[in-house]
Amino acid sequence: MIATIPRDDVLKQIGYKTPPEEKLLHLLDEMLELGREYLDPLMRFEEIDGSRDLPLFLHGAALSYVALASIGPGLEGRVKEFFDSGRATEGYLLDTVGSVAVMHVGNALWAKMMEDAALRGFIKGLRRAPGCEGVPMEVQKWIVEKFHDPHPGIHVTPSCMLVPRKSFAFLGRFGGNLKSAFSCKGCPQFSGCTLRSENL
Amino acid sequence: MDTIKGIYNAVIEGKVEEASSGVQAALDSGTGVNDILNNALIAAMDLVGERFGEGEIFIPQVLWSAKAMQAGMDLLKPRFAPSDHAATGRVVIGTAKGDIHDIGKNLVAIMLEGAGFEVVDLGVDVPPERFVEKALEEKAQVIAMSALLTTTMQSMGEVVSRLKEKNLSHVKVLIGGAPVDQAFCEEIGADAYGMDAVDGVRKVKGLLGR
Repeated sequence: MIATIPRDDVLKQIGYKTPPEEKLLHLLDEMLELGREYLDPLMRFEEIDGSRDLPLFLHGAALSYVALASIGPGLEGRVKEFFDSGRATEGYLLDTVGSVAVMHVGNALWAKMMEDAALRGFIKGLRRAPGCEGVPMEVQKWIVEKFHDPHPGIHVTPSCMLVPRKSFAFLGRFGGNLKSAFSCKGCPQFSGCTLRSENL
Repeated sequence: MDTIKGIYNAVIEGKVEEASSGVQAALDSGTGVNDILNNALIAAMDLVGERFGEGEIFIPQVLWSAKAMQAGMDLLKPRFAPSDHAATGRVVIGTAKGDIHDIGKNLVAIMLEGAGFEVVDLGVDVPPERFVEKALEEKAQVIAMSALLTTTMQSMGEVVSRLKEKNLSHVKVLIGGAPVDQAFCEEIGADAYGMDAVDGVRKVKGLLGR
């Protein structure tokens, strides 16, 4: 699923448009290798059926899902160790590796969700995460609570933060009055995102 | 190359051992503490900050430079006159109540330390009253707070309110984090908004007239 975390994606996430000095590339490769050791991906989605308290984003959908993606808690623990021991550059690089990894896990989960929807005859779908336009952060709790398993591997704090931190929740919708395909527009990071594909 | 220039270059290039040995050599040769501080360490970090602001370098390189500067500062600090030491400033820093993200806060703390500030790091999920109590206890000039979510940034306003209630307006408040912006800063009455770690340090310096 995420056997490799592309080095270029991590560099783009940090801001580099051209490769930095060799010393940094070498350290980043070390952190990519280390990051792989700590990855414990979690990908879960469930269909939402007949809920009366649907977030606005799901209104009118013919098929709705909640989803949770994570890389587990191991990597962030190692990041903390780096910072605590004064190795901030390593900590920052590993943290960024984790951010890119969880994004890849999320994309893989979205692909699985689309496969499931396709089996039911739905081709076009949209996903959106809490914090994006029209989806308040409080929906984070709603998503976690919708899982039938009361311990889906990710929990939400009273202030709507997901734990482990390298996790994210999202909603998926298919059919109904859907008029467009997935787009990054509406994400609070849209204008400053370094990873977005041009067509999104 | 003269010693000051050597230290300056070592900090810019993030060479910790060279910065440290350069500062030691400068001290051994009788170069003044303020000369090393202002013309080598601070001047180098100013350029690093400029390059970061221009998008020429990014956080990892800034962190290397901050570490090199810190190594030099560690050698200078014992030689500061008491008035020099007080002049650098003390900052109480933490992540807002309910927020457990700490990378941004950690980066600001490291860069503040690199710039010579004393930093009291309260960690994550810090209640408003804790910020105020600690600022009083530590006689800090600045409280710096970070939040990553809209649900957690609201508690920053409570810190500002508590400072006002206690007539502690001399304690300046810096805020930062993904959902925070200048408008929110003005809305809650904070003193400054740092758009990133380097800008945060620049704003703290500005707040303290450095």
